[in-house]
This record gives sequence, C-alpha cells and structure tokens, in this order.
Amino acid sequence: MEASVLIFGLVNSATLMLVALGFSLIFGLSGVANLAHGGIYLFSGYVTWMLMNYLGVPFLLAVPLTIIIAGVLGALIYWVALKRVRGLHLSEVIATFAVGVAILELFRWMGFVTYEFTLPVFIKGSVDIAGVSIDYQRLLIIGIGLLLAFALWVFSRYTKMGLALRGMAQDEYTALSIGIDSDWAAALSMALGSAIAAIAAISILPLGIISINMGYEVLIMALAVSVVGGLESITGLVVASIILGFAKTITGTYFDPKWMEVIYLFALVLVLAIKPSGLFGKFKELEERV
Amino acid sequence: MSKETILEVRNLSKNFGGVKAVSEVSFQLKRGEALGVMGPNGCGKSTLINLITGFIKPSSGQVFYQGKDITGIAPHKAVNLGIARSFQMAKPFYNIPVYKNLIIPLFSPRVRKLVGGKFGDRDEAAIHLLEDVGFERDSSIPYKAAGSLPHGYVKRLELARCLSLEPDLIILDELFSGMSMSEVASILPFLERLRDEGKTLIMVEHRLKELFRVVDKVVVLNFGKKIAEGLPEEVVQNEEVRKSYLGSEVDSSA
Repeated sequence: MEASVLIFGLVNSATLMLVALGFSLIFGLSGVANLAHGGIYLFSGYVTWMLMNYLGVPFLLAVPLTIIIAGVLGALIYWVALKRVRGLHLSEVIATFAVGVAILELFRWMGFVTYEFTLPVFIKGSVDIAGVSIDYQRLLIIGIGLLLAFALWVFSRYTKMGLALRGMAQDEYTALSIGIDSDWAAALSMALGSAIAAIAAISILPLGIISINMGYEVLIMALAVSVVGGLESITGLVVASIILGFAKTITGTYFDPKWMEVIYLFALVLVLAIKPSGLFGKFKELEERV
Repeated sequence: MSKETILEVRNLSKNFGGVKAVSEVSFQLKRGEALGVMGPNGCGKSTLINLITGFIKPSSGQVFYQGKDITGIAPHKAVNLGIARSFQMAKPFYNIPVYKNLIIPLFSPRVRKLVGGKFGDRDEAAIHLLEDVGFERDSSIPYKAAGSLPHGYVKRLELARCLSLEPDLIILDELFSGMSMSEVASILPFLERLRDEGKTLIMVEHRLKELFRVVDKVVVLNFGKKIAEGLPEEVVQNEEVRKSYLGSEVDSSA
C-alpha cells in the first residue's frame, strides 16, 4: 500500500469518527436518533465564523464559546422538539430531522452560501511523512478524534453520569425507579452530543469552505458509521470509521473519485442486508427477526 | 401501635377506558410494618403499585407518604423521597456489569446525599449487597454483564437495587415469580431480617405461604376492589377471599 493511501486513509477515518461520535453518543446515552446532527454541525461552524467576523471574538475564545452554544442548542432541541414525543421513535426521528433541515435551510436563506465562509486552521503549515506532504490540521484531526473517542469510552464506563445515562438508554422504567430524571438525562446527552458535533465542526471545517450541503453529507457519514459499526458500541464506531475511511481513500486513489461519497451508502445498504445490527451491534432483536 | 403512618392510600382509583383496574382502594401502613397485597391474576395489584410509585397517574384518590400528598408524583421523585420498588418483569441494565447496576443509584440525589462517596468507593458495598441477597461469595458473577444473568439472579439483583437506594419504604412486585423453590427459600430469611430490622415493606405476591412468613397484615384485591384486610390467618378464612381464589387452594398452614 502506498504511504499516501495509508496516511489519507487515517485522516478520512478520523474525520468520520469525529463526525459520528456526537451522533453515536446521543443514541447510546438517550436512545434518540438525532437527525439534526448535520444541522448542529454546520450551525457550530457558522457560529464560530459569526463570532469572529461580526463580533471580533478571537479564535481561541470563539472555539469554547461555540462548543457551549452548541451544547445549549442541543438541550434546547430536546426541551422544545423532543420532550413531548419522547419514546415514540418515529416521531423523534421526524422531529430531529425537521429541526436539522430548518437550521440548514435557515442559513441558506440568510445567504451563508458564498466563498467567504471559512474557519482558520489551528496551526498553519505542513510536514512530510514518508514523502507525503500533510498539513498539521489533518494530523490534529487524527489526534482529536482518538482523544475524544477514548474520553467518551472512559466517560460511559467509569463515571456515575456516564453509567446513569447509559442506563437511561437501556431501560427508562428501571432508570426512573432508581431516581434518574429521564428528561434531564436526555437533555444532557443531547447537549454533550451537540458539543462534540461542534468540536468536530471546528476541527474539520477549516479544511475547506463551509457550505450548506455539508450538513447533509455529515449526517450521511454519521449514519453510515453508526449503522456499519452497530449503534451504542464505541469499538464498532472506531472500526467502522477505519473501514469506511480506507474504503473511501482506496476508491478515490485506485478507482474514480466520483464514487467516494457513494461508498458510504453502499456500505450502509450492504450491512443492513447482511447483519442489520451492525458489525459490533448489540441489538439482538434485529438478529432474531425472521 | 403508636408508630407514625408512613403511607396512606385514600380512595385510589384508575380506569383504563371502561375497565376499573383499581377502584376506591384505601389502606394505611405504619413505619416498620410489612404489608402483603394478594389477589387473583388481573385484580389490579401491579396497577396499585404503579399508582403509588407514580408510574401510572391515578384517575382519582390520593396517596400520602410521610404526611405529604404525593399523588401522581414523577417516578424518579418518589425514589428520591425514599420509595424503592422492584418490577415484576425485572429489566436490569443488560450491558453494564452486575455490581455497577448497583452503583448507578449513586447518581440519584437521595443516595448521593445519604451515602456520599465518589465513584469507585461503592464497589465494595455493591459486592456486599449482592452477597446479602444470595449471590455466591467470591464468584465472578457480579462482574459479568447483567444481561447474562439467569432469571433467579435477575430478581435478586432487583431486590439489591431497591436496597441500594437506601429506601424507607420497599415495594416488591412479585419478587418470587419465576424463582425456584430453593431460590425463594434462600431469600426468605433475608426478607424476614429486613422486616425485623424495621424496614417498611409492601409485597405483592402469589406465593401465599412464603408471603405470610414475612408480612404482618394483608390486603386482598379482586376486580380492583379491596375485599379484605387484616392478619393473614384471618383473611384466608374470609368467605369472599376464598371465593375469589376459586379453584386454587388458600393455604394457611404457614
């Protein structure tokens, strides 16, 4: 394998992982399939841009502010759109999808579609690894992705809050009967997941311009990784990111770049047909269905 | 008895459509008492428990707990007041290790206040609690995922989960259902000990012989109505109770 395939495969994998983490976290912790994920992702990008360009906030301050604002938005989406339909999965999906589309199209309507919308990179410059030139931002994406995945793994297994939230996702009645407030837990997980979406956006968006359609692409990426890896499994998420990331890179390098985005959907359909609960999925019901 | 009343249920009713699942049920429970709730299948026992613990909102009537009106309270708030309940169909957090199932209650405000301690401090206490309810000492079972437990252990975990909440009132909904004779026999002394330690208990149960070993008094329901209340040995002599259990022998030999 060429060095460039290896390196850019890793970058693509880390990108996928970052994008899918927030989505997967919300599903794993509260059972909500948050289809507003792409909307929140782009919202975060635009918020950072607006903070910097309209209010003159320095980048280093705009980043934590954006993460907090995205978290608040996530909790707000829960209280406004989800609280009433909690437990009705189809309604949850419709509600979050509507919110996501509303956010994205609101920005389109406001005219956020030109080439001026870019975010700065953390560190300028690039480095040569095995003859492949790679910029620091892409290396950072790999680092941030791994760090976040590890942090979430620890959070969901070794902290009271993480366990309580996981419990909530597994059985709401049992969780209620040990004194966990279900609305509070779900709002909190929406806030956490949205904050992570913001981290992903701030890390990845500097690689190009911010465009509305990326919101939809990001949602497809998150869905593909979650379905291939199996929901509520962080191991599955990492493995699926690597598989899809390399599949994309290999397709782009050896076949035709136009197939690069289709590969996600292809993998999604393939996994649904063969092993519907995903490679590492724990949803036994799907396996046992005849 | 001059002890304070911990729970009072006043004319509690619940209609599901036209069906009166629970109809005008009233009773009182004093601190330290053990109450049995019995009656044939579908007589409203579980609904009654769900009404008291807030999982179902009553159509009419009131529930008082420690003098406070808690009618229609949110379930997690009832827990934080000290009412712990088990489920007939126990659903532990299946992909979380057994002992960690008992640590999650630390997240609730009540347990945090009463027990305190950081995450990890409670590991030892959780293991002890599991041994109390009959998990084998020094086995690997507490470290396995709760979803891998056999049914009898799930029910014991359910009991341990109630106790981990530091409750004032423990409500056990058919704890014995699905347990083998020997499993029930091994858990009975523990329940008797809870009663002797002065814990307030409500047990919904079909296995009357075992139930009567633990409880001081019983309430009998039929078609959602309370048809008898009193000492176990009195109640089983009651003509209406005998009729409601038509065909099944009411065994008072215990």
